[in-house]
Amino acid sequence: MKGMKVKTDSPVTRKAREGVMEFLLVNHPLDCPICDQGGECDLQDQSMAFGSDRSRFTDNAFTGKRAVEDKNIGPLIKTIMTRCIHCTRCIRFASEVAGVDDLGTSGRGSDMQVGTYVEKMFKSELSGNVIDLCPVGALTSKPYAFTTRPWETRRIESIDVMDAVGSNIVVSMRTNEVMRILPRLNEDINEEWISDKSRFAYDGLKRQRLTTPFVRNNSGELVATDWETALFDIAQRVKDANPATIAGVAGGQADLEAMVCLKDMINRLGSEVLCTEEAFPMINSGTDFRSNYVMNTTIAGIEESDLVFLVGTNPRLEGSLVNARIRKSWVHNEMCVVLLGAPVDLSYDYQYLGDSFSVLKEIADGSHPIAKALADADKPMIILGSDAIQHNNGSLILDTVKRIAKNTKKSLNHPDWKVFNVLHRNASQVGALDMGYKPGMDSLKCDKPSLLFLLGADADKLNNDDLHGNAGVIYIGSHGDAGAQMADVVLPAAAYTEKDAMYVNTEGRAQVGRQAVSPPGMARHDWKIIRALSEILGVSLPYDKLSDVRGRLAEISPTFDRPGRVEETGFDNVSDDVTIDKITHTGATAPVVPALLKLRDFYMTDPISRSSLTMAKCVQAYDEAEANPYSKPEAI
Amino acid sequence: MASRLSRFIRPIASTLNHKYGGASSRTLGCIQRFASFGVEGETPKKPTVASHNPLVRQRLRDFGAYIAECMPKYVQQVNVPYHDELEVCIHPDGIIPVLSFLKDHTNAQFLSLSDIAGVDKPMLENRFEIAYILLSLQFNSRIIVKTYTDELTPIDSACSVFQAANWYEREVWDMYGVFFANHPDLRRILTDYGFEGHPFRKDFPLSGYVEVRYDDEVKRVVVEPIELTQEFRKFEANTPWETFPQFRQIEGDVQKPMNPPEEKK
Amino acid sequence: MASPRIVQQGIKQVKPLMSVDRTEARRRVLNLYKAWYRQIPYVVKDFYLPITVKMGRDKVRELFLKNKHVTDIRIIDMLVIKGQMDLVETANIWKQRNHVMMFFKDTVNPKPKDFLSKFYEGQE
Repeated sequence: MKGMKVKTDSPVTRKAREGVMEFLLVNHPLDCPICDQGGECDLQDQSMAFGSDRSRFTDNAFTGKRAVEDKNIGPLIKTIMTRCIHCTRCIRFASEVAGVDDLGTSGRGSDMQVGTYVEKMFKSELSGNVIDLCPVGALTSKPYAFTTRPWETRRIESIDVMDAVGSNIVVSMRTNEVMRILPRLNEDINEEWISDKSRFAYDGLKRQRLTTPFVRNNSGELVATDWETALFDIAQRVKDANPATIAGVAGGQADLEAMVCLKDMINRLGSEVLCTEEAFPMINSGTDFRSNYVMNTTIAGIEESDLVFLVGTNPRLEGSLVNARIRKSWVHNEMCVVLLGAPVDLSYDYQYLGDSFSVLKEIADGSHPIAKALADADKPMIILGSDAIQHNNGSLILDTVKRIAKNTKKSLNHPDWKVFNVLHRNASQVGALDMGYKPGMDSLKCDKPSLLFLLGADADKLNNDDLHGNAGVIYIGSHGDAGAQMADVVLPAAAYTEKDAMYVNTEGRAQVGRQAVSPPGMARHDWKIIRALSEILGVSLPYDKLSDVRGRLAEISPTFDRPGRVEETGFDNVSDDVTIDKITHTGATAPVVPALLKLRDFYMTDPISRSSLTMAKCVQAYDEAEANPYSKPEAI
Repeated sequence: MASRLSRFIRPIASTLNHKYGGASSRTLGCIQRFASFGVEGETPKKPTVASHNPLVRQRLRDFGAYIAECMPKYVQQVNVPYHDELEVCIHPDGIIPVLSFLKDHTNAQFLSLSDIAGVDKPMLENRFEIAYILLSLQFNSRIIVKTYTDELTPIDSACSVFQAANWYEREVWDMYGVFFANHPDLRRILTDYGFEGHPFRKDFPLSGYVEVRYDDEVKRVVVEPIELTQEFRKFEANTPWETFPQFRQIEGDVQKPMNPPEEKK
Repeated sequence: MASPRIVQQGIKQVKPLMSVDRTEARRRVLNLYKAWYRQIPYVVKDFYLPITVKMGRDKVRELFLKNKHVTDIRIIDMLVIKGQMDLVETANIWKQRNHVMMFFKDTVNPKPKDFLSKFYEGQE
């Protein structure tokens, strides 16, 4: 109303607020001392700010306060439903953001209950976010229950490495132990959400850890030793090896500092064989242009798009927050989604084109109706999952998708709009490619390396047949996983919460993660291990401090020097025009299907989440839920 | 309740006012007798906060002025800062005379030295403030005598006036490194033998410089430069979801001085 | 305006701690040194120190020479006072063995300087 005056702090308003608070608290238990939300509770804050200092509640009928039975909605979220104040934020999150209509209310008035109607698991890869959303202690974290109070912990801002999205996180630490992981607001990447793997896999940081160097003895057993012995053992192996065939492999969670040190050391030893575990076809301009292998439109750019064409990817599990962004756009901007790949549940509707490569070829030729849809779209996006191009015909798929992108661009109204995008799965991949690592291990297998350095490479893609006869394998990493199994020397390194390190996400955005706790036992920071080793090997790297390494990174690429920003990729037109290799379609091609299909596959993908008890419980709970006749089994 | 009580007290208070009020406004005795009854018409508003008694404060100011007149050479400033207690700031040379005066004057009789406190104010030229807190059992009154010094200037020991000063001065010496001249037995009292530095100085780090442990090889306690292997316990008072920041700032948080310090020289 | 103030500061009268001139301060230092020097044999004997008298006297000399750059009379006096107190604590055997051995710092390892030794030690 015009001329209306709203008083927000008058005695009447204060009294009204006090009354509302009193009503809320009549049906809320006063168990703050045993409540996990205590100290970060919205209701607590509000009753401090607006509430009365005493209670008028008298239990006239001696029936006790309202009490609600707790629900079991899986191994991640603990429910104490008596504390629920029926704000329905969790329900809204589940149906609007996560796209899972599992939560809802039943009953009316004081009999209203929030729940899943029938007891079942809250099956979503983003389920943990309802813990942050819940203003009271009705939904709390099960693994974190009764461990720490928020004012006791120190909060360190860091970067998640479970996928290539690079979600911003806050690591809560107390007494040199990671107590929990929370999301940090970054509107360009993860908004205010993180996936369950990012949030709950932290207990994997305490299990299966390498805390001391190991050297394999003559009887083939790994024996614990000290750093000096281990480093000198490596020096002996380097001396025996052929310098030109010393190789290095960067794993999925390797940080930029470690990768640049490994690269510089191996180059100084006289070898050029450096590659990543994850493959990327090196056809045409390969990885020479950044626009060939990053998500050019950026994650926030998805919201501008009106047509998203997903090729061979399941973004819900490969980059959960990219999927959340697509869903957001699908809900609010009437964006169309087209999927070629496995018919997975993406939490929104899409036009399914099957999983056959021939469809892709038809689109490239322009004979498929989608080709026209792409051409007519205002800002179309093609997102190619990196999983779809791992195998032999990956180069064919990549080439075809690039041709589609090129054709689409011809009729585009926005000359700056980039159509082609890649959704990576590994936090290290884009950084490694920026740095000049060769993607995939095919070239390495050809070279038959005489000595192999594995930098957290745990994907189990190599075996001893790929190496030279008596080649030594040196594993530098945090967990005793596949890489450490095949290694001759194991050097314990730090996990992502234990080091100041940089990562480049799938958009090509470099970000800095901060050290929250110190590495366990004799474990050291990855780059320092390599730096120390280089000195023993007589090829000392000139970096004594982290800032020196960062300086070297800045020399390699300006993107590493500007953390938090995305440098716009140039030359995408040029890169489209480079057609050196003639790729011919040879016979039948396997279906374009990603590896992660069901939520079950999501929980354990890397050494940390494989070691996590919480993630194992999730898998177990998922299996039980699938067997439950009352819960809807996942599609596919 | 309070009003009823004051009604009852009023006649007595007014009688007393007649009896003592006119006699000598400079003696401390009558001030304290008044203090125990409270003042007419004054109803305490907030019982948890110590209320001021304007009459007592005025008497204290008068008494302070009297001290200043008696020893103009030493007394530099007289305040009645926050509580109804007198604070006398003196030149370091005047410690013995002023303390003797306060101890022996019939209308003061501060016979007991409750404490000697040191304060380090590193930004000042004379960085150490020494406060003598005296108690007059006769008049149930306390007084604070303050003086100042720096790291190297000795100040006179009060041991000749108050025996109790002996250990208090040793404590100030140990904690701040203020040297007391003519002290009968000035040596460390709290710190360990061989301890270096004065821990209450503001430039002394919270963690100290050394750490002590038992060494099994040399079979004795050894002292080594400190390595902080443990984390500092640090609490975060802010809520992680800062919802209502404006409600966290307490209005009128700025503390106003109750009484502007007045020059009396 | 400025120069008179500087002059004033230069000739600022200070209350002497003990000594009034350099000769007296020097005499006090030498007296303290002699007292320590003579006490050392008893110290070594009383505390069963694992050192020779020579080592003890060398340490006394070293500790005195550590402050040889001090010229301010009052600082010299303050150091003498503290040294005197230390001597009394030692001579009266108020101290214990470990307090006397504190002077020698025989268990303190020098911090690693170069990258590799820092790496082995696990220190930043």
